[in-house]
Amino acid sequence: MNKFWTVVGFTFRNKVKAKSYVITTIIMAIIFSVLINLPYIISQFSSDAPDRIGYAGAPADLSRSDVSPSYIGSGLGAYFKKQEKPDYEFVPIADADSADATAKALNQALENGDIDAYIVFADAGSPGLFPKMEIRAKKKYSDEAVAELQAALQSVKLDHELQNLGLSDVQKQALFSQAEVSSVQINVSNGTATQEEVKEKTGAQYSMVYAIMFLLLMTIMSTGMLIATEITAEKSSRVMEVLVTSVSPLTQMFGKIFGMFIVGLMQIALYVIVFAINLSMPNNDSALKDIGINMADIPVSLYIYALLFYLIGYFLFATLYAGVGSLVSRTEELGQAVMPLTFLSIGGFYIGIFGLNAPGSTFVTVASFIPFFTPYIMFLRIGMVEPPFWQIAISLAALLVTTLASGWLSAKIYRTGVLMYGKRPSLKELRKAMKAYKL
Amino acid sequence: MISLSIDQIHKTYGDKKAVNGLSFGVEQGEIYGLLGANGAGKTTTMRMVLGLIYPDEGSIRYNGQPYNKEQLHNIGYLPEERGLYPKVKVNEQLIYLAQLKGMAKNAAEQSLRRWLEQFEVPEYYDKRVEELSKGNQQKIQFIAAVIHDPQILILDEAFSGLDPVNVELLKAAVKGLRDAGKTILFSTHRMEHVEELCRNITIMHRSNPVVQGDIKTIKSRYPRERVMLAASREITGLEQLEGVRYVAKHENVTEIGIASEQTAKLILNHAIGQADIERFELMQPTLNEIFIKSVGDRHE
Repeated sequence: MNKFWTVVGFTFRNKVKAKSYVITTIIMAIIFSVLINLPYIISQFSSDAPDRIGYAGAPADLSRSDVSPSYIGSGLGAYFKKQEKPDYEFVPIADADSADATAKALNQALENGDIDAYIVFADAGSPGLFPKMEIRAKKKYSDEAVAELQAALQSVKLDHELQNLGLSDVQKQALFSQAEVSSVQINVSNGTATQEEVKEKTGAQYSMVYAIMFLLLMTIMSTGMLIATEITAEKSSRVMEVLVTSVSPLTQMFGKIFGMFIVGLMQIALYVIVFAINLSMPNNDSALKDIGINMADIPVSLYIYALLFYLIGYFLFATLYAGVGSLVSRTEELGQAVMPLTFLSIGGFYIGIFGLNAPGSTFVTVASFIPFFTPYIMFLRIGMVEPPFWQIAISLAALLVTTLASGWLSAKIYRTGVLMYGKRPSLKELRKAMKAYKL
Repeated sequence: MISLSIDQIHKTYGDKKAVNGLSFGVEQGEIYGLLGANGAGKTTTMRMVLGLIYPDEGSIRYNGQPYNKEQLHNIGYLPEERGLYPKVKVNEQLIYLAQLKGMAKNAAEQSLRRWLEQFEVPEYYDKRVEELSKGNQQKIQFIAAVIHDPQILILDEAFSGLDPVNVELLKAAVKGLRDAGKTILFSTHRMEHVEELCRNITIMHRSNPVVQGDIKTIKSRYPRERVMLAASREITGLEQLEGVRYVAKHENVTEIGIASEQTAKLILNHAIGQADIERFELMQPTLNEIFIKSVGDRHE
């Protein structure tokens, strides 16, 4: 056990002290901080004040007498005023006697900077239609801005026309309420249908499942490759030959895996802290409220499962990476060799993402029993649909057995790999070597 | 006292025999030479002694005991190719390796400083290995093998890639360990090192031990086939003597190959008739010649 910790300590110290690790961690922390604060930073650059849009009061020569620029302008103003943070403010510009004078007054206001833009109206194509609007400014408004204004105008138009029709508020509501469609899963037997019990999951649980899956993927991706690289490097530098004479390969390999695990955890913990600090800054106050997650909503059992699946999942992949690392003799060949493992872990994650929206589907259920996917998918099912306990037990047992088998096999490959150099051995060669070395 | 005894070990990889019935014993305070061409089975033998792989047949005993985990702490190993972390500092990795051998950190540190002092490179204590020259890396590798003061030492090509000054330095260290009563198994291609250091040797060829025993006895078994002759003036007509195989004139001495020791007398008589003899020596075969003979003869 003493030696185990010696290996853990050595692995940990060397990795943490490495410049590449320190620099990557700092850069990632900076990127995280910037990303979290990006909305705030952007809002700092764009002026907060709404665009002031002017409109004339005098009735223009519109064919419809019931709408005037001032009527529409004040309607639009009211529409935006209801918003929490309006993008536009509408201001009436004093009328002049003639249309020409009005146009001049509007232009003058724009030139003086009293307004950022003004609107003018004209008859639409056929008589009786709501007039069309034109916004004039020194800049061209983006399509997005035009769409927003169009939505506002639409609303004003609708209100006005409905009022003309003389509909009551109840009638209005009946007209505009959404038609609803919902789906119910049922079991049918003997001609009677029983409703499948679908428990509503809280947003907190959804987020937790997502977070754990993402964390697992990140840990596997970042430390798995490190483990494999480390082992291959030891092999190519022949340190291994010295090491296996001093300490059993199992101790050596698991010491390394555990050391890397701590390195990975530390990195993730650091990111989480950076994340938390950034979120708690006053400028990101609203972000926290937006998420609105109450951690107390999550049952304790889910935390335990999270820990369980996360740890076993990590060690399954870590031992696999270690095995692949000891198969390869040169670090250049490593990228290609770990490809299948990368696919496996990313595959599990993406099935998980798919499963978040369809946690009850057969595909997800089957995937949850495949040990390589179990850490992602069974945990997802536990969080989202509460599968029967025997299913959890079976998948967990399969996962454990696979992990132990993979640890055992990887230790053997590790031990054999030390004594084999040159090209990557084929499976047959490896089996032969294991036999020959009596391992 | 026999400290390391190897008894009739066999090892087969697949259908290739790597070691075939090898036996020898190494006493305390002895350096045992294991010689052989590339692929003769030296490294396999050493790996079996290290417990990296196990013999198919036969046994290896350490101080009379079979292999067990405790023995590992008692063995020091210098692999043929350098096995160090290039990017880790000398003190960190050597103390780590010593700790894995069960040594306390403080003791390891002291031992390391003592060895660096002995090799006249104390300033390497906190250098990274990749910063050192090849020869100096070999010194560090040597320290890695001996830092935990093992009783049994296995040195695979310990002096390869070193300049003459460093060879002497390491040779002195090996001799020092021998005098301190360590049991040393030593493999090399360089015969002059073997003649200087080893009492007993085994020459392996294609997994078989072909020559075994102490160097003096081995040499006496081989006929003396060379005469070195130096005289006051040039001796003529040597080639015509019966049994003379060749005559090679060097700067100050003439080397004559002979078929048997009888020929030597003929040469001496012939030479005395012509000039004053300054040197006449019937040469013992060198280990190099014996090696080439015992290995080369069997090359088909």
